[in-house]
Amino acid sequence: MSGGSARSLGKGSPPPGPVPEGVIRVYSMRFCPFAERTRLVLNAKGIRHEVININLKNKPEWFFEKNPLGLVPVLENSQGQLIYESTITCEYLDEAYPGKKLLPDDPYEKARQKMIFELSSQIPTLLICFLRGQNKDDYSGQKEQLHKEFSKLEEVLTNKKTTFFGGKNISMVDYLIWPWFERLEAVELIDCVDHTPKLKLWMEAMRKDPTVSALITDAKTLRGFTDLYLQNSPDACDYGL
Amino acid sequence: MRRRLESMAEDATRALGKGSLPPGPVPEGLIRIYSMRFCPYSHRTRLILQAKGIRHEVININLKNKPEWYYTKHPFGQIPVLENSKHQLIYESVIACEYLDDAYPGRKLYPFDPYERARQKMLLELFYKILGYQNTVFFGGDCISMIDYLFWPWFERLDVYGIADCVSHTPALRLWIAAMKQDPAVCALLIDKNIFLGFLNLYFQNNPDAFDYGLSC
Repeated sequence: MSGGSARSLGKGSPPPGPVPEGVIRVYSMRFCPFAERTRLVLNAKGIRHEVININLKNKPEWFFEKNPLGLVPVLENSQGQLIYESTITCEYLDEAYPGKKLLPDDPYEKARQKMIFELSSQIPTLLICFLRGQNKDDYSGQKEQLHKEFSKLEEVLTNKKTTFFGGKNISMVDYLIWPWFERLEAVELIDCVDHTPKLKLWMEAMRKDPTVSALITDAKTLRGFTDLYLQNSPDACDYGL
Repeated sequence: MRRRLESMAEDATRALGKGSLPPGPVPEGLIRIYSMRFCPYSHRTRLILQAKGIRHEVININLKNKPEWYYTKHPFGQIPVLENSKHQLIYESVIACEYLDDAYPGRKLYPFDPYERARQKMLLELFYKILGYQNTVFFGGDCISMIDYLFWPWFERLDVYGIADCVSHTPALRLWIAAMKQDPAVCALLIDKNIFLGFLNLYFQNNPDAFDYGLSC
């Protein structure tokens, strides 16, 4: 589990060598919520991995060979196979590696997790708007929308009568949704879960999970990063190092 | 012509609208799909049902006049939705397609290898961005597989929309279309061009009869 706190690589950096056997590499960024999904799964499944952080404000030229879209996360294995799009990387890890399965075996239960995940699909877009401060004209309108999206998830937990979205134990869909809720405090929207008590309890349960707590970033650090990132500073991705 | 009428039999029923009676439970050994004859998203799921030879029944929904009971099947009244005999409901076309592949035996449409599965899913993401992204006859390799069925409905409609020209600069794609038309599942569900034009014509006039255009019953 090396390199989680390593300085990011930027333009002019030499491309990394091949991935050694027995290890999988994730191209990441310490504060990226999408890459956090992949790191949560790597840790939850105890998969030996190395992390290479990418300076998203000053991307190395070689990184576009890893992902033509130039986005993190990207997985690279020792066979040189590349996988990108956060949800696809997570599912790939669950299928390719042994141990605890994060997605259920039962076809219907697996589909159910994916349907629940779809219910949360507007949350990242909305939160990114708040993170970027792009909603000054319609702050209350967007906040109202966020409440609506949270209510959908609240309904799932109410009907299921379980702590987590997949049942009584943490599973894939919880890890996929978590990074966005981790950031609520940093954008001063933590009061949005006051209307959704089960979702609030879910957040508390998530914080107690060993995998989640090992990768958690506090609100102050997230705010520090966000401020620099919005100024397009090339130092943003290494904030706090 | 006779073959087309026979192959349309399964989904050649009038769409149910407001005031219609809710359908009963799904009998064992069968899966039901709530669909609409001209919708590309439910077309994906019907392709998978056809390709895997899954016994199914089709209930068409009038999308401009939805039955009240339909919202108990999907919170926003969208199609496709699968319903099985255990009252389980599955929606979102890609999720429904994967569910069918997982739940039913026989030929697997998604590859077995996790990397190849991931590759097909990455391709689906790129679908709207990169059209010429293929170096084999089919998008998944030398044989037709899940990703080809997920793409197909839009290409079948290109011809009807009169924008088949947009694939004239991409010979690999034209080859793919020709190869797809030879697939038994694709053939069985091919929409007649004139019927589809008739549907579009009525649909743009907001005519609720659009969904039943071309049915003889």
